[in-house]
Amino acid sequence: MWFVRFVSSSIGKKLIMGSTGLLLLLFLCSHAAGNATIYMGSEVFQSYADELHSHPLIVLVFSTIVLLLFVIHIAFGLYLFFENRLVTPSRYAVDKKQAKNAFAANTMPYTGLLILLFVLVHVFGFTFSPEEIPISVTVKSALSGIFYGMFYLFSFAVLAVHLSHGFWSMLQTFGVNHPRYNILIARLTYIIPAFFLLLFGGIPLYFMSGAGASF
Amino acid sequence: MSSIDLTLQIWRQKNNDSLGHLETYPLSGINTDMSFLEMLDVLNEQLTRAGKEPVAFDHDCREGICGMCGAVVNGIAHGPERETTLCQLHMRNFRSGDTLVIEPFRSRAFPIRKDLMVDRSAFDRIIQSGGYVSVNTGGTPDANTIPIPSQVAELAMDAAACIGCGACVASCPNGAAMLFTGAKISQLCLLPQGQPERRQRALAMVETMDREGFGNCTNARECEAVCPKGISIRNIARLNQEFLAASLLEG
Repeated sequence: MWFVRFVSSSIGKKLIMGSTGLLLLLFLCSHAAGNATIYMGSEVFQSYADELHSHPLIVLVFSTIVLLLFVIHIAFGLYLFFENRLVTPSRYAVDKKQAKNAFAANTMPYTGLLILLFVLVHVFGFTFSPEEIPISVTVKSALSGIFYGMFYLFSFAVLAVHLSHGFWSMLQTFGVNHPRYNILIARLTYIIPAFFLLLFGGIPLYFMSGAGASF
Repeated sequence: MSSIDLTLQIWRQKNNDSLGHLETYPLSGINTDMSFLEMLDVLNEQLTRAGKEPVAFDHDCREGICGMCGAVVNGIAHGPERETTLCQLHMRNFRSGDTLVIEPFRSRAFPIRKDLMVDRSAFDRIIQSGGYVSVNTGGTPDANTIPIPSQVAELAMDAAACIGCGACVASCPNGAAMLFTGAKISQLCLLPQGQPERRQRALAMVETMDREGFGNCTNARECEAVCPKGISIRNIARLNQEFLAASLLEG
């Protein structure tokens, strides 16, 4: 079957990583849009959350798709990681990296797993939080805590590092590499993670700093 | 004309089956106008005179165009100078007292034959599986009968600059051969002469590449940084496109 051959080839696996990565990035955009309501105050945020959850079918279908994307992205990522480790167990006595932003590229599996840890904490902390407490109260009390807030900030920084390689790498895998657009792509690969870092990172800072005390 | 004194640490390995190790050789009075391989020649002369086994290394044209030479010098394939093969690297790039660690190009797909010599026939097998064009026999066709935009010809020529030295594989954290395969596919798929086998070529060459034990590309860009011919990873992007299209249409 051509699809099995395609998926089991090295480039096919990369394309699966790239396309699930792109869809997860789009999910991140919709999530960021929803979370931006926090900056408008607890009432706006709470009414957004209530509105969203008044359509349980939308939430169910959407989260099933996102779960599936996560599973595929992580499974293929880990498979590639272990396959590549077979090829190269630290082979040179002296090894000098030559490429730029080698840190983000070389730590993709690790930053990815840290994001997974964050997602688990996040989902069990907020998605499956007790239903009788309004979500705006849960968010405020959780993120006002220094430990919880710092963990969130750290995770957003890790996400930014992951995306700073991931965004460019995804386009390269799709074959998007043209001198006319390369400078734009090189900028976007830092601007997009910075945007998410500011928007998401601002939320724990908002509560931890006391600016959101009247939330 | 100045001369420098060096300490060399060279990977010595008897054959594919034996274990290798780094051996230290002091070398003094090296003329800075010498090439890196000439410096190794001097070392080998001394070793031979002392009745020891000389260091085996691949070389042929010594003009940077054949792709035979190559070693990892202080952690960088083909040494510290950019876009230069090992034979065209000159000793003026080093200072007296430097320690040079010289290791072979390492990859699961490149077994070490002896010392710094590796078997890169995996590259040949990738080429054999699709790196050709069909040409009708008969009289020689006139030149320029097929119009090709000069920009396209230049891009194909940029890809064709690949000498197949294997530095891309040696420096890739995953031991992937994507830059090599990308260059070989690009040089043919860009030109009208390469169209008849275009899809089958992409499928066959990628299949061979995977089978030979090369790793998976993670876009670490190390290959591009060390390539002595400055082959761009744009060729890898083109390879990805070619392989996707071929898989969807003829896979």
